[in-house]
Amino acid sequence: MHDGSGLIAVQNLTKQFGPVTAVQNLSFTVSPGSVTGFLGPNGAGKTTTLRMLLGLVKPTSGTATINGRPFHQLGQPGRVVGAVLEAQGFHPNRTARNHLRVYAAAIGVPDAQADQVLGLVGLGSAADRAAGGFSLGMKQRLAVATALLGDPQVLVLDEPANGLDPEGIAWLRNFLQSFARMGRTVLISSHLLAEVEQTVDQVVIVSRGQTMYYGPLEHLRRQQQRRVFVQPSDVGALATALQAEGVQALEQLPDGRLAVSGVDTRHVADVALRAGVSIYGIQEEQADLEQIFFRLTSGQYAGQAPVSPYQQQGGWA
Amino acid sequence: MGLMGSLVQAELRKTTTTSLWWALLIPTVLIALGGGLLSGLFGQSFVEVFSSSEAEQLSDALGVTPDQWKFALLGIGRTINLATLFPLVFGALAIANEVGTRTITTTFLTAPSRVHAMSAKLLVYALWGAIYGLAIIGSTALGVVVTSKTGQMPDAGGWAMLALVCVLASILMTMFGVGVGALVSNSAGVVVLLIMYFLVVENVLQFGLRLSGTPETVIGFLPNGSVDGLTGTVAVDLFLAKAGVVPEEGVYWLRVIAGAGGAQAWWLSGLIFLAWVVAAFGGGWARMTSKDIT
Repeated sequence: MHDGSGLIAVQNLTKQFGPVTAVQNLSFTVSPGSVTGFLGPNGAGKTTTLRMLLGLVKPTSGTATINGRPFHQLGQPGRVVGAVLEAQGFHPNRTARNHLRVYAAAIGVPDAQADQVLGLVGLGSAADRAAGGFSLGMKQRLAVATALLGDPQVLVLDEPANGLDPEGIAWLRNFLQSFARMGRTVLISSHLLAEVEQTVDQVVIVSRGQTMYYGPLEHLRRQQQRRVFVQPSDVGALATALQAEGVQALEQLPDGRLAVSGVDTRHVADVALRAGVSIYGIQEEQADLEQIFFRLTSGQYAGQAPVSPYQQQGGWA
Repeated sequence: MGLMGSLVQAELRKTTTTSLWWALLIPTVLIALGGGLLSGLFGQSFVEVFSSSEAEQLSDALGVTPDQWKFALLGIGRTINLATLFPLVFGALAIANEVGTRTITTTFLTAPSRVHAMSAKLLVYALWGAIYGLAIIGSTALGVVVTSKTGQMPDAGGWAMLALVCVLASILMTMFGVGVGALVSNSAGVVVLLIMYFLVVENVLQFGLRLSGTPETVIGFLPNGSVDGLTGTVAVDLFLAKAGVVPEEGVYWLRVIAGAGGAQAWWLSGLIFLAWVVAAFGGGWARMTSKDIT
C-alpha cells in the first residue's frame, strides 16, 4: 500500500476538457512538515489539479500521487488525506453531527470522532442544527471538520478562506501551521497570495495550467527587486552620472522623478553628490510579493487597461 | 468491520438521517392500504352481483360458484404496481440527490474506490426496496382483510407468493430508480421522468400497441409491462386456480385488469424487468465510476 511518507507528487500532469487545456504538464512535489501554497489566478487549473490528485477527475496524462500512490490505491483514503473542496456540499436537512457520522462510518472511525472534530472547528454548539441553515463560514468549518474525521496525514484545501470571516481565517491559519508542525502535509490553494502569505512556507505558482514558480516563499522574497525613487535638481545629469557608473535600469516617471533599479539609496545619493546634483527627495521601495505574483501570473486573461480620466496615484499600499 | 461493512453503514446512515424514507413511506402505505380496501370492495361487490338470482343461472351454466371468483386478487396486483412507484422514486433520489447536494464528492473521497461506494449503495437500496415491499404487501393485505370475506382472499400459500413477488418487484423498482437516477443525476428531472413514464408514457404506448394490433407479448417486454407482469401474473394465476373454467376472452381481460396483459410467466417477467434494471443500473454505474466530479 502507500508508503506513509506524506509526500504529494504531481508529475507531468495534463488535463484536457474537450478543446480546453485546463492543466498542462504540471509538476511539483509537496513535502510533509510544511504548508505549501498552491497559487494562481482563477482559471489557472488549481482546482482541476487538486481534483486529479484526489481521484475525482481523471488526468489526460501524467500522474498525481499521495504517499507514492494514486488516490484509489490508498486503501482507506479518508485516513490518509482529508480534503476541503468547493465542490463539496451537505444535505440541507442533515444535521452537522449526522453528516459527520455518515462519513465517520465510511472511513471506519468511531462516532466519538464526529463530536471531537466538531469541537475542534468550533461547531460544537451547532452539532444538531441542519447544515442547510449554516452560514458560509460555518459550512466551511464543517467541511474542515469532515476533512479531519480520519485524522489524516495530508490535508488538501481548495480556496478554504472563501466565506470565512477574519476570525475564521486566523483560526485556520494557526490550525494549518500547527498541523504541519506535527510533521504532516498541507496543500492549500488560493488565487490571492496575500491571503496565504502568512500561512505558507512553500509556494507553487501556476498560470495557464503551467508551473511558473515552485519553491520556498523565502527565495521568492529574495528575488524581489528594490527600486529607488529620487527627485533630483537635474534629472538628465543624474541619469548620465548613473549610467556612467554602469546603472542601466533607469526610468523617468511622469512626475519628474527618476526610478533606479538594482541599487540602494546610498549609492544613488553618492553618485548625485559626485555629479553635483541636488536631491530633493529620495525613497526606496520593495516590490512586494503580490507584485511578483502578479508578474508571474499576468497575461492569463490579458485585457485592455481602462482609459481613466484620473492619473493613478501611488501604488499598492 | 470490513471496508464494505463500513460503507454499507455509512449509506444506511445517509438514508436514515433525512426524512425522505418516511416521507415516501407514508404515501406508499396509504396507497397500498387504499388499494387493498378497494380491491376487497371490488371483489365483494362482484360476488354479490353474481350471487343474485338472475346471475345465478349464468354462474351455474359456467360451472362455478361466484364466491370462488377472488376478484380482490386482481386489485392486489394493480395496487402493488402503483405503490412500487414510491420505492422507485426513493431509489431514483439515491444518487441524483447526492449529485445535487454535492455530497457525492465526500462520498467518493471517503471510499476506497467508486466501485466500493456504488456497491454499498446497491446493497442498502436493495434493503430499502425490500422494506418498502413488505410495507406494501402488509398494507394491501390489511385493506383486503378489512373489506372482504375470507373466501375472497388467497390462502396462506397465495399470500406468501404475493408477498414474494411484491418484495421482488419493490427491490427491482428501487434498483431501476437508482440506475436511472445515476444516469440523469437531477433530482426533479429524474422523478418527473420516471413517474411520467410509468404512469403515462408506457400506458399510452401499451394502448397504442394494442390498437395497432401488435402482438400482445410485446407489452410484456416493456419496463412497466414486465414488472407489472411479475405481480399481475401471480394474481391472475391465483385467481384462475380457483375460478374453474374461464373462457379465453375472459382470461385476456382478467390479465389486462390485473396488469399482466401480454406478460410472460411471473418469473420470466421478473427476469425481463431484471434485464431493464441491469441496463439502467449498469449505465448509471458506468457513468458514476468514470465521470469527472467537477
